Amino acid sequence: MSLLYLLARWLDRISPAPIAYAHCDIPCGIYDPHHAQLAAHTVVRMVDLINQLDKPGASATPEQRQEYTNKLARYIATKEQHSEIAKNELRILWADYFKPEHLKTFPELHDLVWKALKTGSKARQEINLQAAEDLLKATNDIASIFWKTKGFETITAKAPYPTERLTVYPKFK
Amino acid sequence: MRPALEPGDYVLVNRWAYKFHPPVKGDLVVVQDPETPQRFLVKRVFDVPDATQIRVAGDNADRSRDSRAFGPISLREIVGKVWIRLR
Repeated sequence: MSLLYLLARWLDRISPAPIAYAHCDIPCGIYDPHHAQLAAHTVVRMVDLINQLDKPGASATPEQRQEYTNKLARYIATKEQHSEIAKNELRILWADYFKPEHLKTFPELHDLVWKALKTGSKARQEINLQAAEDLLKATNDIASIFWKTKGFETITAKAPYPTERLTVYPKFK
Repeated sequence: MRPALEPGDYVLVNRWAYKFHPPVKGDLVVVQDPETPQRFLVKRVFDVPDATQIRVAGDNADRSRDSRAFGPISLREIVGKVWIRLR
C-alpha cells in the first residue's frame, strides 16, 4: 500500500470520488443450457400426454367431457409455458453468454439459435411432436457448443425422465 | 480489468487528456456507461474507428460487457484517461 494510496483514501473519505466500474452489469457468469433442455423435455412430454389422452366419444357423459377438457387444457397450458421458458433460456445464452470469439469457433451458432427459437414457437403453437423433438434437439446442439466453450466434453444419453429422449450432458472431470 | 486494475484501486483521471489529441489504442479510459449514464466504467481502448468515437473492451473478455455489447462510445462520453493508478 503506497503513501499516495493512503492519501487518496483519506481524500476519498473527506470527499468521496465516483466509482468507475470494470463491469457494467452484475457479471454473475452463471449460465447453463440445462434449463432450456429441461423445458424442451416438458414440451415433448406434454405432446405425448395429449396424444395419449382418450378423446370422449359420442356417448361420453358431461363429466367425462369435462375431465377430458380439463386435462387437455392443463397439458396445453404447460406446453405453452415451457416452450416459452425454453425460448427465454436460449435467448439468455445467446445474448448474455455467447461472445464473438465463440462465434468464430462455432459460426453455425447464430443460425442454430435463430432456428431453435422458431421451432420453439412452432412447438408452442401446435400439437406437433416433431416440432417438440426438434426443439429438444436444438437445445441439445446448443448445449453441446456451450460445454465445448467451457472446455468440457459432452456425452449423449437417454434422459432419466418419462420422455427418455437423448440428451446432451457435460462430462465433468 | 485484472491485472491492470484490481477492485478497490484508486485511479486519477486526466479529464483534459483528449482535448488536443485523440485516444490511442491501448489507453485506459473512464467512460460513461452507455446503458446507465450516471455510472462510470473503466475500460481499455481497442479501436479508434474515427475521430469522433472509440471502441472499448475489458481486459478479461469473458467477463466484460463493453463495446462488443453496447457498440462504440462517442468522444463526448469519455470522462478522461487513467493517469495514475494507486494501490
